[in-house]
Amino acid sequence: MTAFTPTRRAALMGAAVLAMPSVARAQRRGSVAAAIYPGSWEEAFREIVAPPLLRTHNVELEMQPLFAVDQIAKFAGTRGAPPFDAFVLDPGPRITGIDRGMYERFDASKLTTRAQLPAGMVDEWGVGCAAQVVGIAYNPRKVPRPTGYADLFRDPWVSRLGITGFGTTFGTVSLIEIAKIFGGSQTNIEPALAELKKVLPRIAAVGAPAAMPGLFQQGQCDVMYTNTQTVTTLKDRGVDIEFAAPSTGASAFFTTLHIAKGSTNIENTYKYIDTVVSAGVQRALMAAPFNFVPVNSTVPLGAGLPMRSLDEMARFNRHDWSVINPLRAGWIERFNREMAR
Amino acid sequence: MARQRSVADISYTLVIGGLASLALLILIGPVVIVLLTSLTDSRSIRFPPQGISFRWYEQLFDGVRSRQIHRAASNTIEVAVWAALAASVFGTAAALGLAGARGRLSRIADALFMSPLVLPGLAFGLAALMYFTLIGFRPSIELMIIGHAVILAPFVLRTVGASLTQLDPALLECSRSLGAGPVLTFRRVTLPLIAPGIAAGSFLAFMGSVDNVPVSLFLSSARTDMLPIRMWGMMESTLDVRVAAVSGTLIVFVFVLMLVMERLTGLTRRMRG
Amino acid sequence: MEAGRPGPWTLTLPLALAYLAFFAAPLLMLFAVSFYADERMTRWGLDQWQRFLFDAFHWKVIVDTLLLGLKAVAATLLVGFPLALIYRAASPGWQRVLLFIVVLPLLTSVVVRTFAWIVILGREGVVNRLVLDLGLAAEPLRLLQTELGLVIALTQIEMPLLLLPLLSVMSRIDPNLLDASSSLGASRWRTLFRVLLPLSVPGLVAGCSLVFASATTAFISQGVIGGGRLVYLPSMIWQQAMVVAHWPFAATAAIALLVSVLLVIAVFGAIGRVIGGRLHG
Repeated sequence: MTAFTPTRRAALMGAAVLAMPSVARAQRRGSVAAAIYPGSWEEAFREIVAPPLLRTHNVELEMQPLFAVDQIAKFAGTRGAPPFDAFVLDPGPRITGIDRGMYERFDASKLTTRAQLPAGMVDEWGVGCAAQVVGIAYNPRKVPRPTGYADLFRDPWVSRLGITGFGTTFGTVSLIEIAKIFGGSQTNIEPALAELKKVLPRIAAVGAPAAMPGLFQQGQCDVMYTNTQTVTTLKDRGVDIEFAAPSTGASAFFTTLHIAKGSTNIENTYKYIDTVVSAGVQRALMAAPFNFVPVNSTVPLGAGLPMRSLDEMARFNRHDWSVINPLRAGWIERFNREMAR
Repeated sequence: MARQRSVADISYTLVIGGLASLALLILIGPVVIVLLTSLTDSRSIRFPPQGISFRWYEQLFDGVRSRQIHRAASNTIEVAVWAALAASVFGTAAALGLAGARGRLSRIADALFMSPLVLPGLAFGLAALMYFTLIGFRPSIELMIIGHAVILAPFVLRTVGASLTQLDPALLECSRSLGAGPVLTFRRVTLPLIAPGIAAGSFLAFMGSVDNVPVSLFLSSARTDMLPIRMWGMMESTLDVRVAAVSGTLIVFVFVLMLVMERLTGLTRRMRG
Repeated sequence: MEAGRPGPWTLTLPLALAYLAFFAAPLLMLFAVSFYADERMTRWGLDQWQRFLFDAFHWKVIVDTLLLGLKAVAATLLVGFPLALIYRAASPGWQRVLLFIVVLPLLTSVVVRTFAWIVILGREGVVNRLVLDLGLAAEPLRLLQTELGLVIALTQIEMPLLLLPLLSVMSRIDPNLLDASSSLGASRWRTLFRVLLPLSVPGLVAGCSLVFASATTAFISQGVIGGGRLVYLPSMIWQQAMVVAHWPFAATAAIALLVSVLLVIAVFGAIGRVIGGRLHG
């Protein structure tokens, strides 16, 4: 162990420097460690959720930027001692978490905002904190507005198309919707792969999801499937991009918050969750530059969204992730195999 | 004969010069693009830049608006300094040991020591997280330093090992026969000769730590937010130009550092001379 | 002093112990995890190894990954070695300028670096604009999301890994040897292949090992620049570990990558020893 003396001392020093203010504060103030998606989610929560949480509940928000899959991996890696108090997850990982017993039971009665949340937004495992609406994004200066997923396989769009696989929620629901127009279903995505395979040599990009904004901005592809939040955010940043709801309907899903199993900080975690779904915070999250789709029904919806009220979302394509989840690993592998040269 | 010679020489100059120019182009091209992009006036990272401005640098250095970036940067540098230091000390010692021990066993040991380099970082990150948790540690900056040091030690081992192969054993023998102990021999003979290898290795280790995504992803906690992970998020969600400005800053910083070092070493050489 | 003189192996002890505690132990765990039969890690079995090894697709992915590494090594050598020769011949002042240029790629984060390559290789990118303006092609070339593009992009980031060990070795080569060679009437080519190249072998082996290992595991570059039509092992491991959270299979694939890459590096070392042996023998 002597081997690491210098590093340990440095680390202790570093930790001490970092810890000092919070130790002093800890006597008066509570805190909550929340996993959060890196990037705009984190910025948004820091700017919009943290201040009211501190003001109203005297709870400090500490965020760990982690993608959904990283949260699950990290939680599973630290069995018994959760690395954070709250998850933020998309529907696929959410189901994984339920299956693996990663959440404390969620008691909706602890939310003061309970009455403002639409039916189905809260269950025994957690609560929706943002809606996501998925459709087609295109560059209006390069290609005409596509009317539906079928257009993506035709000129002029097909040679400008950028696709992603089943690695993301928006990618998975889009590929399911594509499968549906070619005769597939929520459990049968083969038709989508078969059609993609036919046009594969002409497709502009088969990308990592994280690379898509960059590829789109630089004109490598001019049409892709994605969510409204990405479109609005990129548009705010001066990118030529518009959202088109497909003729077969936009898809919708909710990003949810959950309390990590074994958290020793449950009361503060409820306060955190309550703050996130409160009307004021939801309204602020919906505004530029963050462009979240709210879950609180008292919040009037912004102009950029393809619906006027949260109730309309019931008509959007919804997917049953308890059915999709067991199949998804296989689909990811199928996608690899079909897309490989 | 003379004519043939000059044809060969001309072809040598053309081929070697041409390929080396290509190498320079490949090395410099993307960096020029990054620098130009960082000066854009547009709201997102874009090439060609739309108008020239330093506003993204201003924003990057703004203590309030870029507070999180600054925190991540200071974490990253702290981890990199200590990880590179540990990797250099341990790696150099091991390289010296391996150079002294010849034979099959040392080759196997060498291959084993190199293995962190070829294990995909994310597999190691995952394995390390599982392991550290099992023995009772929570993610912390210390674990991050250990994790980085382990995967970076091979850089030092390799570069120092390479410079050791050219160390003439006769020199060491000579030093020893003149009555110098191993410590003195090391300080006076070995160290000066392998110093470039150590420098190269620790520089590689430092930069490797600064730019590490996969290990940091697993071993980070709320308190140890790391720069590349933050940049990845900024790039994915908002095409934030500050990402390019971070690289621009690093390039300028190292450029200045090299100038300063150049001045200092130039000075010491003159003083000695 | 004499009694306490450390044997050669003593010096390797600190690193060996650190590795044992912080690398071998986690790795052992990874190895153990690969022997879980199921995703939830409830029972033991060889299922994941069977699934990995008895599938031609996985072998193709391994081969593609190793080939990518070799291509990256070849491309890096092709342009990097001449640059090293230029460096050798340059004045001390220019050497410092060149050294700065060589380390430049290390100073740009992988995040922006990949973006820069999208800018250069993209459909509307720098290269294509040049090619179209010069009338060299009617259609934009497809460079991004091809293996060629990926190898070019890898060449940039791998160059420092090749050159730093190589330059430190080459700078130690006795210039008298080269003078002797040319005064004996050898052409510059002959001097290069008969004197300089063989003497650079230790640096070349070191550099090529680093380049190979780094290129075969560079999953961000592979994913962003190579795109989904090129499947390599690291992205498969990433998907299995991070997207579907199937650790046993991810662990199996990670060990397969580790073993295959180490084997190739061992071959590099053997080639280096054969050449080195011939040189001294």
